[in-house]
Order: sequence, then C-alpha cells, then structure tokens
Amino acid sequence: MLSCRSSNFSFSTQPFFKFRTSHIFSLCVFLLLTACGQTAIAPDVILIPPVGSVTLNRSIDTPTSGKQLDIGVLVFENQPNGQDAQRFGDWVFAEIRDNETHYLPYVLRDTLLDSNQWGAVRVLPEFDPSLDLQIKGTVLKSDGIDLHLKIQAEDSTGKVWLDKTYADTAYESDYPESIRFTNANQFDATGFVDPFQDIYDQIANDLLLVKETFDVPNLVNLRRVSQMVYANDLSPETFGYTLNKTIDGKLMVSSLLAENDPMLARVEDMRLRHHLFIDTVDQYYEALHKEMQVAYIIWRRYSFDQINEEEITAQRAFNPDQYGRSRSFLSLTQRYDRYRWSKIYQQEFRELASGFNREIAPAILDLNKDVYGLSGTMEEQYIQWRRILRALFELESG
Amino acid sequence: MLSWLKKHSLIGSQALALVFAVAMSKGSGTGVILAQEALLDTPAADSSAVAEIEHLPRLNLDNPLRLNFSGSWEKDFQRSDKWEDELSRMMAIRQERSAIQSAGGGGVLGPSVSIGNINLNSSRVRGSSIVDLARLAEYVSRQTTMDIYQDRNEVRIERRGEADLVCTLAEGPTETFSSDHGAEMCGWDRQQLVFRAALPGDLDIMHRFSVSSNAKVLRMVISISSRDSAPFNLVQAFNRYDAPSDPFNCTQTITRGKVCSQTTILE
Repeated sequence: MLSCRSSNFSFSTQPFFKFRTSHIFSLCVFLLLTACGQTAIAPDVILIPPVGSVTLNRSIDTPTSGKQLDIGVLVFENQPNGQDAQRFGDWVFAEIRDNETHYLPYVLRDTLLDSNQWGAVRVLPEFDPSLDLQIKGTVLKSDGIDLHLKIQAEDSTGKVWLDKTYADTAYESDYPESIRFTNANQFDATGFVDPFQDIYDQIANDLLLVKETFDVPNLVNLRRVSQMVYANDLSPETFGYTLNKTIDGKLMVSSLLAENDPMLARVEDMRLRHHLFIDTVDQYYEALHKEMQVAYIIWRRYSFDQINEEEITAQRAFNPDQYGRSRSFLSLTQRYDRYRWSKIYQQEFRELASGFNREIAPAILDLNKDVYGLSGTMEEQYIQWRRILRALFELESG
Repeated sequence: MLSWLKKHSLIGSQALALVFAVAMSKGSGTGVILAQEALLDTPAADSSAVAEIEHLPRLNLDNPLRLNFSGSWEKDFQRSDKWEDELSRMMAIRQERSAIQSAGGGGVLGPSVSIGNINLNSSRVRGSSIVDLARLAEYVSRQTTMDIYQDRNEVRIERRGEADLVCTLAEGPTETFSSDHGAEMCGWDRQQLVFRAALPGDLDIMHRFSVSSNAKVLRMVISISSRDSAPFNLVQAFNRYDAPSDPFNCTQTITRGKVCSQTTILE
C-alpha cells in the first residue's frame, strides 16, 4: 500500500490507483486534491447584535461655533479575510472589499453632516493632527446582507470616544424595486437610503452621546488642544512646551500662547491652508463615492440575492436520509447537476464581481490623480503636502 | 563558456542559440542574460541579433512551464472511448476475474460470487454500480467541443452547458470551488491538468487533460468513482480546429449588464 505524507496527512491510495502506474509525485498531487477537496470552508461567525431600526438624532439649529468639532473619518481598514486566499479567483472579492474601504467612510461622513451636530466632517486617507476628532473604522464583514464595522473614535487629547463593534442586517425591504435601475428608472441620490443606514445612524448617535457629556469649557479646551497638536506637528521644537500629558495619558494645554502671538497667527494661517487642502481631498472621496454609488448599490443587491439563493440551495443539499440509500443513475445525475449549477452560479457571481471592479476602476484611478504639484496615491500626496507645510512653516519662521 | 565561443568563432544567432540551449539544459534560469553577454562579446554581433533577443522567452522558474492547451477542440469520435464498449470491456475483465476466483476457491477478498455480478467483492457499503458510473461518465463528457483559454496565470476550459474548469498554472493543488453541493480542486501532475470534484455521497469525478507535444491532439480522461468502488474511466480525444472568430467582444458590467462591441477586421 502506498502512502503519501504531507504535513499532518497520511492517506491510503490502494483502491484508487490500481488502474495507474504513475509516479509518487502524481499520487501526492492527487491525494492532496483528495484531502483538500472535501475540506469545507468554515464560515466566519461573528455574533454581534444588530443595531436594529435607528433614528438619526438631528439638530434643527446648527451648533454654535464653540460646540462645533471638526471630524476626520479615515479611510476604513479591512480585516484580513482568510477565505480570499482559499479559492482560486476569489481575489475579485478582496478587491471589492478594498474599494469599499473608500466608499463606506463617506456614508458615515454624510450621516454625521446630516445630523447637523458637528463642524466640518471630511474623509481622509491618514490621521490628521489638525482635527478635533478622528474616526477609524475596520470592515469586519460586508456583503448584501450583513455589515459589521469596528469603530474607534478618539479626540485630539487622546480621549477615546468610541471603541465598539456594530452590526446591521439588510432585508428584502432595504432593496426596493426602485433600485432596479433602468433607462426609465434612473438613479436618484436624493431619494436613496442606504440598506445599512441604521448602522451609520447608530454610530452618529453614539458619538453625539459622548459629545453631550462635554460642557462648553471642555469643548473649548478640546479645540485649544487640537490647535496646539497641530502647531506641534508643524514645529515640535517651537511648540513642544505648550502641551503636557496627564497621568492617564491625555494631552492638555500647559501653556497658552497670547491671542496676538505672531507664531500662533502663522500656525492658524497654515491650518487654514491645510484645511483647504483636506477639503480638496474630501472632494476627491466625494467624487469617488458618486461614481461608485450606482454600481455599488446594484452589486449589493446581487450579493443579497446570491446569499439568499445559497441559503435556499443549502436546504436542498444532499441528504442521504432524504435520498434513501439510492445510488442509482438518477440520483448520481441529480447530484452532479446540482453541483454543476451551483458552480455555474458561483462563476457568474464572480464574473459580476469582476464587472463591478472593472466599472469602478476609472473612479479609483481618478481618486489617485495628481493634486497640483503632488503625485502618487492620495495617501502619498497627503504625506507630501504635510511635509511641504512643515518646510514652509520653518521657512516663514526663519 | 564565453571564451570557448570566441575560440570556436561562433557568431551571432549561432552563439546565442547554443548558450541559451546550454543554459536551459543546466536548468539555469539565466539563459537570456548569458545569451546577451555572448552576443555582446561576439565580434559579429549585429542589431538584428539583438532584436532577436528581445523576442526570446524569459525564463522564470517561479512560473512553471506548461504546455499550451489553448484553442478550440472538437471530439474525435474515432479515437474516443465509447462508454458502452468500455463498460463491456470492464465487465468482461471482472467476469474473468470472478471465474478465476471460482476456479481457485476464492481469493483473499472474500467469497466467490456468481458470474454476471458486476460489483464483485465491493466494500460493505456499496458504491454505485459500474453501469451507473459509466452512464454518468457519458453524461459528464457529452460535449463535443470545448474552448480553452490559457495565459500566464490560468487555464480556462469552457464547455457548453457546463461550468468552466479554471486552474492556475502554478504548482500545488488549488481549491477552485466549494459549496454544499460539492468541492473542486485542481492541480498539475507533471504536464497533465487535473480537476477533481468531490460530490456528496462520496461521488468523485476527476478530469485529467493532456495535450500532445505538437498541440494538435487533446486527451481528456474522466474517472468516476463512488465510495470505494473502482473508478470507471473514459478516454476522450479531441482535435484542434479553427473556430471562426467571435464577431463580438463582450465585457460584464454591473450597471449595464453585458456590454458588447463588434470587432471589425481591418483589411
């Protein structure tokens, strides 16, 4: 009897290879196929309670300038998904998840602006020292039915506002007929509600709850710290003394500059220029979001249908009890046909995923097009810009 | 080696071919580099020879060399097994074995069985009968044509009414599909392309493709087994043919479905 050892496996090959006299190598390949062919993919099971139906807490009046905090929503990250590497060709789904990391933060940004509780809210490629509050997100799971996000929010003092995992589930009603776009039924962004809008509403409401624990002096202090953090980022040698760390690791202003201090005026000038730049960056993400939106809505609808279909067919999966012990030709062809059709269906779904990536590729390229005088990806341009500002500040300060 | 070439006054493409061949035979991955060096050092090196280098295949040992399966293929019925004949042949062999067992008082595999029983000495949990496996093999291989596309990364076999068989050119087994209805792996056994599908109820379907060195004949062996039963093998031969070029170039999009453009052949 032949056996082939590969890591922890050892297989008997006697019955299968009576008809062949091939090499040990072929046995190894075949046996690995044998071993792995029956390995089922363990589904990701993340038990996070869904947010349910949420109403966004909107403010009728725009908050006073003292209560306006500037927020940066960083481009989301992806939690590595082991399944991408498991099946040949599944990288198209990994590419979709990469594209989502640019799209989803913009939905959160829109929701925060819609709540009318904050100052400027921008999507940014990197941590930005000029803002009062930064939101980091990680996509744990995203498909047509489930969206799981890990959200961390931290203000400029280092206080953590949020560190929480959110989940939302979409239902048939979240994908109305109106999103089956045709020539007669064109996409209308104003009337569109994201199938996972509840998750963004919940995040916005949670952030507001934390903000409401701050009184006005605290908010003013927070903005001062933000100002000094930015000054420190421009020139740590000059402004290093203005900030101190408390015992619990939070930053506080230890020394305030006079209102008419020319250095402070220069910092504010730089900050203004910087905000103009990050407004431009935000516009790039807005353009990407607009370009991607229709394709993404349709893609999610396909994904929703595909998962539902998979669940239905799983219920029809082979069950020896249901089939009895029949090993007849009819039973064999039934099994083969189900296998064949499920594979055809999956291949078509993969082709749609490729189509989605192909369709939004120009928009992703546009995102990374050069801002005047800068080059590289948006992340690289952002880093270059900050370097230029620092150099400029040094130059102006002599 | 370069000095040896100079000594023997080999010039231009002769030197190039020789060095490249030697580099290949030594299993070196630097054939092109060596060839370039040889050319540059040879007095008679000319620009046409340099241009020739540009078209040489570059060896990349990370990407194994594979035979070219691409093309349109049609079944050669003369050279393909007929499932009924193959079934008869297998049954005859089994009956012969059974007869020997009866005459010799039984083998180690168990009591002798009557002639005509085609599932001799099968395991206790019996697989499907060889007749059903043979019919399934015919069912699975009923397509008379197939189109194969191959590039540096993958080989894709398209057959009407069937899911595509797609595999990487890289070494090692690769999982290509899995669902509640079965899983498929593919891999390379030397220059043969192997797909193995494991379906529920221990039904195994294996496709093994090989192509002749002149790339004119393709062989597909289908092996079907159920539980521990011996597999039923069906060999199918295909000849390359020139399929008319597709007048449409189509790409899948999300928002507009399949978008096709007509390809115009310029005179």
